Amino acid sequence: MISYLTAPVIVASLSGILAALITVIDRIVNNYGEVQININSGKRIIPVKGGNNLLLSLSENKIYLPSACGGRGSCGACKAKVVSDAGPLLPTEMPYLSRQEIDGRIRLSCQVKVKSDIDIEVPEELFNIKRFSGVVERITDLTHDIKEVFIKFDDDTIDFSAGQYAQLEVPPYAKIKESTQRAYSISSNPSLKNGIEFIIRLVPAGIVTTYVHNFLKIGEKVKAVGPFGDFEIRQTEATMVWVAGGSGMAPFKSMIYDLKEKNATGRPIWYFFGARSLKDLFYLEEMKNIEKEFPDFHFIPALSEPLPEDNWKGETGLITDVLRKYMKNEIGNAKEREGYLCGSPGMIDACVNVMTSEGIAQDKIYYDKFA
Amino acid sequence: MTPLVSPLALFFASIFTSNILLANFLGMCSFISISRDFNSSRGLGLAVTVVLSVTSIVNWFVLKYILIPFDLLYLRFIVFIIVIAAVVQILEMIIERISQNLYMTLGIFLPLITVNCAILGVVLFIDIRNYSLVQTFFYGVGSGLGWWLAIVLLAAIREKVDKAPVPAGLKGIGITLITIGFMAMAFVGFSGMINVQ
Amino acid sequence: MKMTPDYIEAHNKMQPGVITSEGFLGNDTRKLVEIIAADESEMIRLGITFEEVYEKLLYLQTEGEKALGEPSTVDGKWIVQAGDVRGKLPSPFGDGIFHKNSVVVQNVVTKKALIYSRLSLHLLEKYHFLQGKGSPFRLDPVDMKEILEL
Repeated sequence: MISYLTAPVIVASLSGILAALITVIDRIVNNYGEVQININSGKRIIPVKGGNNLLLSLSENKIYLPSACGGRGSCGACKAKVVSDAGPLLPTEMPYLSRQEIDGRIRLSCQVKVKSDIDIEVPEELFNIKRFSGVVERITDLTHDIKEVFIKFDDDTIDFSAGQYAQLEVPPYAKIKESTQRAYSISSNPSLKNGIEFIIRLVPAGIVTTYVHNFLKIGEKVKAVGPFGDFEIRQTEATMVWVAGGSGMAPFKSMIYDLKEKNATGRPIWYFFGARSLKDLFYLEEMKNIEKEFPDFHFIPALSEPLPEDNWKGETGLITDVLRKYMKNEIGNAKEREGYLCGSPGMIDACVNVMTSEGIAQDKIYYDKFA
Repeated sequence: MTPLVSPLALFFASIFTSNILLANFLGMCSFISISRDFNSSRGLGLAVTVVLSVTSIVNWFVLKYILIPFDLLYLRFIVFIIVIAAVVQILEMIIERISQNLYMTLGIFLPLITVNCAILGVVLFIDIRNYSLVQTFFYGVGSGLGWWLAIVLLAAIREKVDKAPVPAGLKGIGITLITIGFMAMAFVGFSGMINVQ
Repeated sequence: MKMTPDYIEAHNKMQPGVITSEGFLGNDTRKLVEIIAADESEMIRLGITFEEVYEKLLYLQTEGEKALGEPSTVDGKWIVQAGDVRGKLPSPFGDGIFHKNSVVVQNVVTKKALIYSRLSLHLLEKYHFLQGKGSPFRLDPVDMKEILEL
């Protein structure tokens, strides 16, 4: 025996044995086998491989919870109710959950490991959510900072109701190292099932909007997940008061074309749209045309700072002031009214105040807050 | 030559009179940093005890049946550390499976047990003092329990100290080191009751 | 300069892909404390204080928010657009969660603009941290003095 080989051989074989032991124990300990996710007390039971997080386990089975960060625990969107015991609440989840949510057994699904059979509750609509891949068919400049983007799906169809939103995913670019998802309201007509249209306004330093505005090309492949959200027209006889600004046009465009197609325009609609000057207004022609067809549809654009060269004859001032004026003088309170709002939280809060002070009940005001 | 000390005496000696922490001052880093929180201290104490009990036995076999026969004593540091690392790895997997809570509290300190000098120290004492297998077992478990006792005591004291008006310059590590000094003196009081070396 | 553990942790959280995809440091390779110290002495050199800058930026944000998401002219000197987007951002120092927004302040005369958010204001006020060079949300002292007309 060559003596100088003894030491290396012995140390190597000892390490080898220990490594093998660790591998074997890892197989035994970390093998959770097949476990079941029971969704909405038996509505759907899906078998998954144990050990992954809940968000991933669900998405592998084509159930998509909303998630903006892709499971890193930084957006707090992927909340789900976990009925059975799934381990303690982790410190990473705490900042995103309110006291009531914690008491209501809400968890961040990306942080919950599925180790044994688990019972969860998610909204039924989520079963309808799909992941689409498609190509960009059309990009139109609506204003200097708003674009309309149409994505045609490869071989899939979408079922959504007017007012819902979807998440657009863009690939890594420039300094951004990973693909990013952001949610945008769908602006296309629900009857158009082989694709979706978004209206996207450039957000300063926004990752997805910057990509859409500066990098996205016609013919490019993109992915979208949807539809999400419960912003939709309620089936009543009430007069509808719509308020939007900027890209908040999207859900209302979808709604009005949906109503037009279904010939369901018996209800009076007052649509207030706020912008700064004429160059920030868009779809003016389309809305005027619809007004001509439906006498009960009123489109009221309001400019907050019209330029002299705009020659603006319409309403001026903040959208809230215009809204208040019309609610007092034109719409009145003879008939039941409902409010529909889409825009920034500040704009929504301000408009909700106007509407409630003009006598619309808080629970008759529906909105899609960008929050 | 195996020393003629009864395993039971060795067990109590390693807890009280020659406590690995307070008499030999081994394993201080995690002792000081984790003792900030009582519950983590309990968890880490348990983990160290388990690792010590297992590694001392495994390393005893490695020592007697591999290192000594092949005349590889000069490699014992590396070999012992490899064995400890493997055991910690396995323990980590098991803890993650059993208690997510404990796993989260121990955090980085679990893998750091690998380089906890108390654990290597115990194994080296076993080698130097030439303990038998039975003695090794009781010494290993005893040292672990001793470490556990010491960190839990310190954590309890620190909870009190946190509420005490400590001079600004001594806050944190300063007062902790002084506390450890007093504890060590108290434990030295036990020495002479049982004599092992 | 020595980084305390809090700052080391904050520095790590400011890397791209941790809190925001682009991170808070741009292409700045200096340590967090060096960035802060350099900006502090720059502010002194320019004769402006963090308090007055903070007050001004907060004022412009509040005024801008009154236009409900559309750009508006404030005091005839600035065009301010304060927009909200979906989501929340935690502070890299672990001391709070901030609603995501962006405020663009453009000087009417020079046409130069600043971009900041609620989180930027918090970091400016509490830590004197103006973000690294090359970060889109960098509030450079020279630019601030010029654009805010301080």
